[in-house]
Amino acid sequence: MTVSLDIDNIAAHYGSTQVLKDLSLSVKAGELVSLLGSSGCGKTTTLRLVAGFLTPTSGTIRLGDRDLTRLPAHQRDIGLVFQNYALFPHLSVLDNVAFGLKQRKIEPAERTRRAKAMLERVGLADFADRLPGALSGGQKQRVALARALVIEPPLLMFDEPLSNLDAKLRVDMRVEIRKLQRANGTTSLYVTHDQEEAFSISDRVAIMNAGRIMQLDTPEVLYQRPANAFVARFVGFENLIPMVVKARENGALSAEAPGGALLQLSEAEFGPIPDRFVLATRADGLLVQREGAGIPVELGLRTYLGRAYQYQTTSVAGDLIANGSLSEPFSPGDRAVLVPKPEQCCILKPEA
Amino acid sequence: MNTMRKWNLSLPAALAVVLLLVVPVVATFTTTFTQPQGAFAPYLAFFNSGFRRTVLWRTVEVALITTVLSLVIGFLTAYVISKVPGKAKSVMIIAAVFPLLTGVVVRSFAWMIILGKNGILNDFLIWTGLIDAPLAMLYTEGAVIVAMVYLFVPLMILTLVGVLDNIPKDVIEASISLGASPASTFRQVILPLSVPGLIVGAVLVFTGSFTSYATPQLLGGERQMMMGTFLYQRAMVTFDWVGASTVAAIMVVVTIAIVLVMGRIARKLNPMAV
Amino acid sequence: MTDRIHPLLAVFAGLVFLFLVGPLVIMIGASLSDTNFLTFPPRGLTLHWFTHIFEVTAFKTTAITSLELAFAGTFLSLLFGIPAAYALNRFRVELPSWLSTVYVLPILIPEIVFGFSLMKSVTIDSGFPVWLTLLIGHALLVLPYSVRVVSASLAAFDFSIEEAAISLGSPPLKTFFTIVLPNIRAGVIAAFILAFITSINDVSVSLFLTGPGISTLPIQILAYMEQFFDPTMAAVSVLLMLLTVGVMAIVEATLGLTFLTK
Repeated sequence: MTVSLDIDNIAAHYGSTQVLKDLSLSVKAGELVSLLGSSGCGKTTTLRLVAGFLTPTSGTIRLGDRDLTRLPAHQRDIGLVFQNYALFPHLSVLDNVAFGLKQRKIEPAERTRRAKAMLERVGLADFADRLPGALSGGQKQRVALARALVIEPPLLMFDEPLSNLDAKLRVDMRVEIRKLQRANGTTSLYVTHDQEEAFSISDRVAIMNAGRIMQLDTPEVLYQRPANAFVARFVGFENLIPMVVKARENGALSAEAPGGALLQLSEAEFGPIPDRFVLATRADGLLVQREGAGIPVELGLRTYLGRAYQYQTTSVAGDLIANGSLSEPFSPGDRAVLVPKPEQCCILKPEA
Repeated sequence: MNTMRKWNLSLPAALAVVLLLVVPVVATFTTTFTQPQGAFAPYLAFFNSGFRRTVLWRTVEVALITTVLSLVIGFLTAYVISKVPGKAKSVMIIAAVFPLLTGVVVRSFAWMIILGKNGILNDFLIWTGLIDAPLAMLYTEGAVIVAMVYLFVPLMILTLVGVLDNIPKDVIEASISLGASPASTFRQVILPLSVPGLIVGAVLVFTGSFTSYATPQLLGGERQMMMGTFLYQRAMVTFDWVGASTVAAIMVVVTIAIVLVMGRIARKLNPMAV
Repeated sequence: MTDRIHPLLAVFAGLVFLFLVGPLVIMIGASLSDTNFLTFPPRGLTLHWFTHIFEVTAFKTTAITSLELAFAGTFLSLLFGIPAAYALNRFRVELPSWLSTVYVLPILIPEIVFGFSLMKSVTIDSGFPVWLTLLIGHALLVLPYSVRVVSASLAAFDFSIEEAAISLGSPPLKTFFTIVLPNIRAGVIAAFILAFITSINDVSVSLFLTGPGISTLPIQILAYMEQFFDPTMAAVSVLLMLLTVGVMAIVEATLGLTFLTK
């Protein structure tokens, strides 16, 4: 019953502008994959291509052994949850949920039974006769979810389903979505611009930019081991320092940052290091010391994070952000040295 | 301060309406109830006259037919307009707006040229050999209806394009994603959501055609007297002001009745108005 | 995709547009005919009927009256209507809800009934001069457009901006002109255009309020048609259509034509 979604080399255009470039993506049977990116990155376009509201200029979309590429949208059998809920305002909650069953020619008694059972599952059994206008945002989204689930689709798709809800509800709902998705084992594609949401809910996440997938991996890998500078910045690596290796011997090497500061790095700690690379770390990945071998900086504004002090610093290698310990505070204007912690740094290919 | 200000700003216009519209119209009604022959005498006279009943019935009939035709033509056309992409849509809206901004007299007059004895339609029919002598198409009920439909279709189109454009796109996509074909989506989603707009349009067209003057005057003439032309004739030709006031009162009553009835229907058919 | 239109429906829509535009094209043709009766297609072409318009002085005087009425009536309706629209929105909860209905009564009452009653009560019983009653009639007829269209604009206006200006020391009346009015500009222009067009095309209200000495262009056209049926009427109609084109150009330039579907 559970099937995989295979998007193979699709391209899409709006008029003459290309919005997707040869994008390929596979969602394994029962898996939940998120498309994550800022607006205009192509994530919603991808979803609409799969839904059938847009037609790709090239490439194929397959769901299990069905080729969806040219199939009319209403024959695709995909459960879709919309950002603005998209409930039918003239139909009761029950009729909204039963709508898809009606299209499938399920007889009235049976579809009422199934719609009621689904409303029970999302905790809205008492609201069956209400009109959508009388529901809160969270309730509306539950109805939308029930409406998409009740047709037992082989694929569920979510288009920023939580972005209209307040923060607390958003967390509750995403847990609920994940539970329902797990329970049914439905293959799912989830579009969002919210990193925390994507990471918390997904088996794998595709980070998108300018119509391409920059990296597709588990949240853990994305968070700790971004594959390129774009993803590193996206997941919160504040410091990206371009470096050039000056000398190397037996895995120990000396690399130069812009402005001439030299760092001594070991491949045993950092992994393989090419001759030109980008050293990427979060603010936590830089030790703030009075002196020693590192990047000399002048400390600027200090802010209190609770677990640490954060310093805005300036150096010949550029502006860097580092977190220092609470026990040893520095003052603005102090000179210090930043030393990268190997376990919290990534070695990336230089940017083009 | 606000207390005075809100009245200072809102009352002048309201007073103007009351003094210069409500009072005169009420005065018109009053004359029909204060005749020496008895309170309802003018109305009895109206409904006892076969000719006047015919005028009323003809007006209702023309207004109803115009409303139904305008609804069907306007809705289907608006549906097409709402679906075509940007540029073509603007052109179609311009084509619909242009007649709407052109005066009633001009638009009715255009149909006199078409339907007249030497008009283009007669010429065409004779040329095709379908008829030998020109048909008398002008000054018929059909002529009035055609011109009225011509008058009101643009209004209907604009009203309904607005309504259709207001149906959220994702609601329609939701319907399709749940397996409804375009035809089922039209029937089960678009049509029910358009009902309020259809009602508003129907009220506008019915009341507009029921109370019109220029079109029945130009295309119906004396032979197809309607309420508007009859009111004018009573007032300005025969100077029977009580008779004219009676016609006026009946027009207002029918208009208000239609507005109320349609409002009720709208509320019944439109569950969104909580 | 979702935007596919059934071919039969497309053909139907095409016919509707032919129906909408055709008669006006036919009228342009008829106005150029060199026959002295109305016909289409024209037998020969001439601009004679356009020059003939200017030989009939009644067309000129009534056209001027119509323009004066439209400008003055529209101006009056805005003068009364904008403050009313402002009050309706600014003091929404404090004003009785039936008040907004009062302003739209002129379009709820059949125009012809309004015109007739105005003539009877205001001109004959109260002795107002005909021109004044005519102006009152037109101003009231278009008042609903002024109030409703401006009101729609004000409904989208954030009154905290006005409060911000007042808190910064700007007196209320000045604030209205410097802060509120620029933000509802589109609504005022739209109201002006709708009111102007309504006034200039009006027949039913003017019908009873014209006579020897004063008349409007549409009434003059109706009167002329009772006596003559020559292409002059088509020529006048074409000139009026040109006026419409001008108005549409203004609408397009200031608001974009799509505002008409809202």
